[in-house]
Amino acid sequence: MADTGEIRDLIQILLKAKKNFRIYPENNPMYQKTIDDLLNALNKPLEYTGEIPLRIKQYRILYEGEVVYENTDKDESLALFFFKDGVRELTFRQGIRRDEVEDFLQIISLDFEKDVLDDDIVTLMWEKDFRHISYVVDDTILLDDHGYEEEATREALESGGGEEEIMKAYEEAFGVERPTSINIVPLTNDDLKSIIEEIENEPTDKTMILIRTLFEMLYISESKTDFSDVVELMKKAIQYAVEHANLETPVYTVRQIRKLLDSGEFSGESAQILRGVDLFVNSSQLIRAFGEVMDSGAEFETSLIEDFSGILSKTAIPHLITILGELKNMTSRKTVISILTELGREAPGMIARGLADKRWYVVRNIIYILRQIGDRSVLEYLTRSVRHSDIRVRKEAIRALGEMGSGEVINILKDCIYDPDESIRISAVRAIGQIGTAVSRKIILEEIRSKAFREKGFTEKKEYFEALSRWPDETTIELLVEILRKSPFFKRAKHDETRAAAAFCAGIIKARKAEGALMKLRSSKNRLLREHVISALQRIKDVKV
Amino acid sequence: MSKSEILDIKESQELINQFSIIVRSSQFHDPDNVAVLNVLEKFLPRINSYIEREGLLKIDLIGEFFYLNDSRVKYPMEFLLNFDYLAREFRRREIGTISLTGALSEEEMKTFLRSFISSGYSNTPFEALDAMLEDLMNIRIERLKRVVEEGEVDRRKIVKKTYFNAVSFTKGIMTKLKAGEKVSIKRAKRIVESMVDLILSEDQLLIGMTAIKDYDDYTYHHSVNVSVLSISIGQKIGLHRKSLTELGLVALFHDIGKMNVPREILNKPTAFTEEEWKTIKRHPYWGTLAILKLKGIDRMSIQSAIVAFQHHLNFDMTGYPKIRERVDLDFYTKIVSIADQYDAMTSSRVYQRIPLPPDRALSIMMDRAGREIDPILFKFFVNMVGVYPVGSLVLLDTREMGLVYECNPIHADRPRVMVIVNSEGKKIEGKVIDLTEKDDSGRFKRSIVKTLDPNKYKVNLAEYML
Repeated sequence: MADTGEIRDLIQILLKAKKNFRIYPENNPMYQKTIDDLLNALNKPLEYTGEIPLRIKQYRILYEGEVVYENTDKDESLALFFFKDGVRELTFRQGIRRDEVEDFLQIISLDFEKDVLDDDIVTLMWEKDFRHISYVVDDTILLDDHGYEEEATREALESGGGEEEIMKAYEEAFGVERPTSINIVPLTNDDLKSIIEEIENEPTDKTMILIRTLFEMLYISESKTDFSDVVELMKKAIQYAVEHANLETPVYTVRQIRKLLDSGEFSGESAQILRGVDLFVNSSQLIRAFGEVMDSGAEFETSLIEDFSGILSKTAIPHLITILGELKNMTSRKTVISILTELGREAPGMIARGLADKRWYVVRNIIYILRQIGDRSVLEYLTRSVRHSDIRVRKEAIRALGEMGSGEVINILKDCIYDPDESIRISAVRAIGQIGTAVSRKIILEEIRSKAFREKGFTEKKEYFEALSRWPDETTIELLVEILRKSPFFKRAKHDETRAAAAFCAGIIKARKAEGALMKLRSSKNRLLREHVISALQRIKDVKV
Repeated sequence: MSKSEILDIKESQELINQFSIIVRSSQFHDPDNVAVLNVLEKFLPRINSYIEREGLLKIDLIGEFFYLNDSRVKYPMEFLLNFDYLAREFRRREIGTISLTGALSEEEMKTFLRSFISSGYSNTPFEALDAMLEDLMNIRIERLKRVVEEGEVDRRKIVKKTYFNAVSFTKGIMTKLKAGEKVSIKRAKRIVESMVDLILSEDQLLIGMTAIKDYDDYTYHHSVNVSVLSISIGQKIGLHRKSLTELGLVALFHDIGKMNVPREILNKPTAFTEEEWKTIKRHPYWGTLAILKLKGIDRMSIQSAIVAFQHHLNFDMTGYPKIRERVDLDFYTKIVSIADQYDAMTSSRVYQRIPLPPDRALSIMMDRAGREIDPILFKFFVNMVGVYPVGSLVLLDTREMGLVYECNPIHADRPRVMVIVNSEGKKIEGKVIDLTEKDDSGRFKRSIVKTLDPNKYKVNLAEYML
């Protein structure tokens, strides 16, 4: 028998451990120390007692008849914590392992009052099947009718026949021929194998089977209330499926419902109720669940995402845009973007509404989506985004205008080439080049010929010449040759940058007429110029070969 | 579970499995045969290192389970038949314990195996084996203790209490649901866990409780009976305890839709009209709705709902409700369906106005196996309840008459019988006898010659079993 003082201390350590487990996460050193402390406190007396049986009363814990813990506070009492679920005795045994202590602490640190748990403390301990922690429970707390056993026993005993009938059976037994007609067929290895296979093939998620069951129930529902109940359950099943990363179930359900509606099997009010599933699939509730499951790391096959996207309608767009701004995981965002792109093809205006979102990154993604869709009806919205307060958004908008726009956006883009931010200017030049109209060329040429051009940075200059390369004609080549040959005395370095950019352009368009001018510069002392010239010559030579 | 613990469990399972294989090989070959030697070559170093580490290797057979140095060895699915075989061989020789107290040489092991096999042909196998092992210092055997005889009364009390708790709880749940009140799934789990514990330790006693049918609250008793029988099939298959709880729970709720069937139909003493049958056949539909509305959608409710809907659908898709798309019946459904049919057939309530004697019910089910019932699961079921299930009224070749009290998992046709009429034709207070008992010449003392219909004579099982 252990010293009661020692057991009192043990209970205090247990209480402290229970609190610590609620505070510290598993990776915290305090979490690990808590387990060690309790394990040590248990092992000390267990070494010589073999076991520590604790009797649990409503507010007290007793060891060998002595009170070792008492607390009448309903929220704090450890005794009541066990008592209310029917635990009447708790015994720790010698040999208790660290993982058992940890599992035990994880169970008792759960907040059974606040958390919605399907299990009580006894079930959780039962499931763990501890080898060195045992408990005695009183199951009568589970019952409302305590006299049932007695009543049922009495009833059963009264209902049978008497001795007379037994004797009649005995007398008749010798005259009746009633051979037993069943033989035991021994189980074979094949039987066992087949059962094992069947268990292994059982789906872990049976939501799809449930949905099929609910469809069968729809067909045999006899009242509107029942029919509605079944449809409501379908929605819940879809929600559950999505929360568990199962997209096959909603896809199957919606397709099946559409098929039923098309077949005309359900019409009028029933059809209306069924359409509710379609609405639910596109609801904020379900889309949010979809976002959460993706963010939790669930991975889906591309084809499945496409199928899921296929059951959504444009009503899901606002909710998808909402979650787009909330998702933390890049893959999830990419998935939502691809779904929005597909849905947006039918309703680009609804996507464009996302441009008003306060989150810059959402706006940028929306512009990206609009770019992918390529519907010019949203150009007007995009032009507004060119003046967005965030540079990243503006760049994306300029890019989109370049890809989708034409003459009508050129002036907006031209304004951007004078923007104080170089990256905006570069994007704008690229976009203007991409639009590729005569006006675009005129703007580019004017800028290259302007005095201010020389002062621009090399990257920006290069962008201008790259844009110019869209028009590989005589005018362009003459301009290139002119720039390559020009050798001013002042600001030579800045001019060499321009020449290097021009050489780059000559290389892109493979301008053989510029070969002579380039040859003269191939040994230039300016490294930047020299390298671009050599590269251009190589490109031209490759064409000749 | 820690890695070392998993290794411990695996090691224990493999030791028992290998031991079974060696015994089985020795049954066909002499231990000097290469087939046995090959297995021995692996087995001996293994057990010797175990003995060196633990000081002792003790294999106990207690109830249905093996214990290795006092720790219960869980039945792994892949070794199930080997475990069953070894248990049978232990029982045949009345061996409860084999203790190896020191390292064994190959010769000692061979001697042991020869003795073990030959003792099986003796009329007094335990004594024979004990004598043959006298010279082997490191091997000791102890006689099998009958678990049911130890503190039988107390255990029966616990079993009875657990059973009635479950019925009372089921009644409470259905009453509450009918009244639109909330019910606690936590409590249901606790009730089923108690049943699983009992079945895992001593399944026959709880199965015995399901044989008593003389209650008014048929639906509640039936739900619990189906739960008990389903858990027992699950245990026979080798499901682990958490799955057994799940199976027990879905079985407990399988008929919950019956709460929507008017009481006057359920308790009608005469045959049902077509309209009444139609109402009764709605119960899988109502049950599915009730379960899903009760608990919302989660893993457990999904499983329960599927079983509630499918439990009257047959293996060949006949039965009800009529469905449009063919489905593979759920695994749990197939188990619950067997338990359900058996209990319904042997009860005198709905569906079966005249209860069938247990063996007759089994015989009918045997005919249905392969068409309406999964044939392999039915095999497990028959192996579990035996040729003469608990509650069968039997006449013995000694002119005694009795009720089957407890099945024998090894000798399916030799259960324990409670004699209620002695060979002089006098009614006596129930006296339990074991049909595996042999006389001095090695012949069985008693055998069943005939089964009778206990319902025909209103033999009250409760009088003997409660």
